[in-house]
Amino acid sequence: MKKISFRTDVLPLKNELFRLALRITLNKADAEDVVQETMIKVWNRREQWEQIESIEAFCLTICKNLALDRQKRMESQNSSLEEVGHDAPDNSYSANPEEQAVQRDKVERVRKLMNQLPEKQRICIQLRDVEGKSYKEIAAVMDITEQQVKVNIFRARQSVKQAFLKEEQYGL
Amino acid sequence: MDYKYIEQLLDRYFEADTTLKEEQILKAFFEQSDEELPESLRPYREIFAAMEPEATLGDDFDERILQMTEGTPQVKARTISLGERLRPLFRAAAVVAILLTLSTALNQSFKDDTTWADQSDYALKFEATGDEPAMAVYDIPEDSLMKDSLFMPTGYLE
Repeated sequence: MKKISFRTDVLPLKNELFRLALRITLNKADAEDVVQETMIKVWNRREQWEQIESIEAFCLTICKNLALDRQKRMESQNSSLEEVGHDAPDNSYSANPEEQAVQRDKVERVRKLMNQLPEKQRICIQLRDVEGKSYKEIAAVMDITEQQVKVNIFRARQSVKQAFLKEEQYGL
Repeated sequence: MDYKYIEQLLDRYFEADTTLKEEQILKAFFEQSDEELPESLRPYREIFAAMEPEATLGDDFDERILQMTEGTPQVKARTISLGERLRPLFRAAAVVAILLTLSTALNQSFKDDTTWADQSDYALKFEATGDEPAMAVYDIPEDSLMKDSLFMPTGYLE
């Protein structure tokens, strides 16, 4: 098996881990803390790296668990969820600035709808539709069957679609 | 343009029946601007735009993590063999060897220079007499040779 290097194999996963943590915690500062904790945890278990089938799945699993733990702690502290600040999407293909603003707004609404999904659906759709992972990989990270992954993705896509089209049709 | 294929893919996407590759096709398709899309497909554009991976962490994060894990952020530990470890020593030895060879060679050529100089000196003498130096000795008149060879004042003999 290939020798795993922290610098070249683990550290570059930071953005993927960050987005997953962000999807769960819905807060950038919390998500960054989670990724940091994940990295240190993975580093401390470096003796086991050689036995791990996929270091990426291993990191994603730790990250998911840490983010969920933090989420539960936050909920028990009864703190309200902070609005997630996203970077502005690239709308350079649209000429009209007004139109651009409208589109940005719509994209933001889709993101909010995604963030309102149940936890499992949120994680599944994040790993599939944003990060492009296979059902098998997602099943390994979530510790559920591939069929369950598929069901979660199906429900997530349906909910987002219906809610978004409804808003589009009737306005907000 | 016929959008049947895209519509079909879209239906399968919402049924969670598309492959990763088909999902990539959909994402790429919906990167087009609204004007290029038929009305019926326009609302889906934002859905796919919202799936773009955007949030990232800066380089300062890497430095912090490396300091907490590998220790030093810049120096990378690597295993080196005995040969590699001794390489500077070999280099130094090679330099010394080269210097020694050079200095010996220089000394030698100086010595050679002096012998050549002596030889040319002889050659000059040789040319001046017109004869071989050995022969010149025999050309000395016999009486003077006799006197000189006895190493005695001439008066003493008479």
